[in-house]
Amino acid sequence: MPDPSAEPARFRGRPLDVGPDEPLARALARRGRRLLGRSLRYHRPRAPFCGVGHCTNCLVRVNGVPNVRACRYVPSPGDRIVSEAGWPSPEVDLLAAFDLLFPRGLDALHGFRRPAWATPLYQRAIRRLAGFGRLPDAGVPPAVTPGEERRVELAVVGAGRSARALLAATGAGPGTLVVERDRALGLPDGVESLDRTTAAFLPPPEEGADRPFTLLAVGDRGRAHRIRARTVVVATGGYDASLLFAGSDRPGVLTAEGALALAPVPERPPFRRAVLVGGGERVAGLLALWGTHVEAVIAPGTVGPEVARAASEIGVPIYPRTLLLEATGGRRIRRVTLAARGGGARFSLSTDAVVLAHRRLPNSPLLFQAGASMAWRSEAGAYFPALGPGFATSVPGLYAVGEVAGFTGAAITESGRRLAPSLGGRGPVDLSGLTTLLDGAPGPLDGYYPELVDRLPRRSKTVACPCEDVLLGELADFHARGYRGIEVAKRYTGLGTGLCQGRYCVPEAVLLLAAWERRPAPEVGRITARPPVVPVPLGALAGLPEGGARTGP
Amino acid sequence: MTAPTRDRYRIIIVGGGVVGLFTSYHLARAGAGPILVVERGFLSSGASGRNGGGVRQQWETRATVRLAREAVGEYRRFGREFGLNPYFRQGGYLFLAESPSEAERLRAVHAIVASEGLPSRLLRPEDVARIAPDVARDRVIAASYLASDGTLYPFPVLWGLYERVRALGVEVLLGVEAAGVVRTEGRAGGIVTASGPIAAERVVNAAGGWSAEFSRRAGLEPANAPTRHEILATEPVRPFLDPMVIRLSDGLYVSQTMRGELVGGRTMPHPPGTAGGMSTSVDLLPAMARSLVDLLPRTAPLRILRAWSGYYDDSPDGLPIIGEDPRLPGFVQANGFGGHGFMLAPASTRRVAQAVLGERSDLDPATFGPARFLDPDRPSTPERLQPG
Ligand SMILES: Cc1cc2nc3c(=O)[nH]c(=O)nc-3n(C[C@H](O)[C@H](O)[C@H](O)COP(=O)(O)OP(=O)(O)OC[C@H]3O[C@@H](n4cnc5c(N)ncnc54)[C@H](O)[C@@H]3O)c2cc1C
Ligand code: FES
Repeated sequence: MPDPSAEPARFRGRPLDVGPDEPLARALARRGRRLLGRSLRYHRPRAPFCGVGHCTNCLVRVNGVPNVRACRYVPSPGDRIVSEAGWPSPEVDLLAAFDLLFPRGLDALHGFRRPAWATPLYQRAIRRLAGFGRLPDAGVPPAVTPGEERRVELAVVGAGRSARALLAATGAGPGTLVVERDRALGLPDGVESLDRTTAAFLPPPEEGADRPFTLLAVGDRGRAHRIRARTVVVATGGYDASLLFAGSDRPGVLTAEGALALAPVPERPPFRRAVLVGGGERVAGLLALWGTHVEAVIAPGTVGPEVARAASEIGVPIYPRTLLLEATGGRRIRRVTLAARGGGARFSLSTDAVVLAHRRLPNSPLLFQAGASMAWRSEAGAYFPALGPGFATSVPGLYAVGEVAGFTGAAITESGRRLAPSLGGRGPVDLSGLTTLLDGAPGPLDGYYPELVDRLPRRSKTVACPCEDVLLGELADFHARGYRGIEVAKRYTGLGTGLCQGRYCVPEAVLLLAAWERRPAPEVGRITARPPVVPVPLGALAGLPEGGARTGP
Repeated sequence: MTAPTRDRYRIIIVGGGVVGLFTSYHLARAGAGPILVVERGFLSSGASGRNGGGVRQQWETRATVRLAREAVGEYRRFGREFGLNPYFRQGGYLFLAESPSEAERLRAVHAIVASEGLPSRLLRPEDVARIAPDVARDRVIAASYLASDGTLYPFPVLWGLYERVRALGVEVLLGVEAAGVVRTEGRAGGIVTASGPIAAERVVNAAGGWSAEFSRRAGLEPANAPTRHEILATEPVRPFLDPMVIRLSDGLYVSQTMRGELVGGRTMPHPPGTAGGMSTSVDLLPAMARSLVDLLPRTAPLRILRAWSGYYDDSPDGLPIIGEDPRLPGFVQANGFGGHGFMLAPASTRRVAQAVLGERSDLDPATFGPARFLDPDRPSTPERLQPG
């Protein structure tokens, strides 16, 4: 319980009005403060985008520690929170002149080479501007948080619908541990869980060991856990993808998760009027919640019947098979420019938000790390685990259920329930009748990007990787110089090397390159899932007991 | 490009990393075409796209100091000559010793480096604070420092080379593996690929961590062996660390890139061989975290962003292997660079090119040539200053 007499948390010197359990970004958004950062190269304004702690848009400095995500950080009394980006502040940033001075971007790869004597000067200037925050203050406690090692039978990563259904069906067996990034709610009595703890690394199992899996997980408060498990179920769900268009990095463009995270109460949206992007389940849900605030539904592909029905009931116009060309505005977007696919005329709508809900992507890095064989599904534009009988991945002892395994709708819960008997060693699971995303239908972005790129406004910046401010033009230059493949694109442009670890930019860039290179996306390659899954503090990992024997009971 | 334009070349170089590409550059400039480079992965898929970008001239062996000094000049000029900026930043290399024997080694290295005319300095622990104020000095008893050492971004070097050598007429095949060597009359006469043989007068083995395997494919027992080496980067913060810092005790090396990320690795107990793949081991993250927080206590709240690994191609004496293999005329070794091939590449590949063309170079064959491992009784001059 916070002590009411304690000093309140302060944001930039002012007392902060923050509700119990309320993340900082939401508390600030309630009072109209969105702009928290500036982008790395061009100092473009940044406001929360993903809402789930993965992007680079809401970084603040808390008690001397840089790069804390405001959308996940729940302030404590006495906290001192400041923004570090922007000079003098995120709202008024004189360095935003870079954005105007270099309308076509800064070519760092070929630039700053002449005259030779100026090299040290360039380097000093660049280093003055590099990085997000400054180094942590000296003596920020605690330097190293003691971690723990534990041995379990079954580790379940994620406590969403599928995991809860699984655990409800298996019961709280001894030696089951759930690791959940948020709060693990609704677990059966007696199931032990690590709340607000993110699974960061799951290397391939050690053959022959008694507990073949080692899972590294780190709690929000900086405590690390090394979990040795006999069996691991990955139920990490999915996330809302980004979409590429001119100005897609502008404040006011956000994912459905981002919008939900900022909503002061679920029924009150964090915008006045929004354009919803997408035509499926997710958009139908948002229409039901925020329909009266929706200006229009636009979909890159077709619009499903539920969306069409819900939209017509409340009189919201829908634009299926539409290109989203541009979002314009300053610190907040004001309008979007659209065009029907197949060469339709441009038109625009005014709106103060674009909510991306057109496709879900699986949270699959743990599966990649563990060495599970993954199959590309073009209908989703993503890789999913190749599942054998009983949700077994190709790695013995490793299972995947729910959204990360490709299930949608009611099948998410159902997949968890049906996995239960198989975990008890009672034979294969019945997969019949489960709906999956993977139905062979063309994906919403089928053929979308080639059309889009031809029609993008030339004057505006299209930021292909907002964490690193990599422009679409740089990707185009890369391609024009004859380089191929996403792995090289990443190393050439820096796309995907930022704090989101490529979650938002890489899936779009792969589709784009596939179109340019005229080959299927899997041939464009994929970015290796490099650990950790989320950035983890050195002080947490340093606190883990050293090494640790891997055998024994 | 995935198919060669001809069926016979003068020179085929196996491996499209920094060593293979730089070798092709020197050869093309010498007018030695037609030249073919075959790379089985994508550009930068080997160690050349996975390293720490460190460039130092502090070495225990005189010949290596000279190669490195020449390379520093080349990397300073690289941007102007190749059109891409590798951001070679001369922030110095700072070696830290924590025991008398380590301090003794730094003194010996300093003596050699200084005698080569480079202004290297031996520092007392208190002097370290001026060069790297955030480095913990509790256990440091001595240090050495050379301000003109530095770090660079490897990628622009690779792109610059790739674009330039193609402009010079070199063919670079990506996604093509050399499965073996064609032997004609006891000589290397080309390579075997999945789509057939390609003939050449000389074959260069610049296959990095896989060069031992490629020697075997040529029927030669290699002296070098690959060892996995892991490395990681933290989230970027405003630069606070100028030099590359190396601690001899745990082999920790760390530098801060122009972007603000800390990039570094340390000694890990990996057995030789490529069985571990290019993944990250579960012990790396905690081990590196302990080492880094110990060296730079203020970094404790910083986050590790990504970890990866690659292969050091280690030779028995820690020095590169350069020259025609006496067991197979026409087969030229350009490997064994350990953890230092990027910094040594520009200068040492000039000698590789000379070996390919049958010219004499200033490298002592007894120190660098492949024959040195064929005679078990030969005295060796090992290079032991391996970390960083
Ligand atoms: C983690 C790490 C950190 C390092 N840090 C530094 C540093 O700070 N400074 C420094 O100077 N050096 C460093 N190094 C070492 C340096 O990266 C290497 O010495 C250098 O890149 C070697 O270049 P290369 O061209 O010989 O090898 P590579 O870059 O590995 O190139 C060899 C290429 O050959 C290809 N190949 C292999 N077999 C075949 C075949 N049969 N057919 C066709 N192609 C084939 C491979 O795909 C590969 O691309 C580091 C290395 C690692 C792994
Ligand atoms: S909005 Fe907080 S990390 Fe994306």
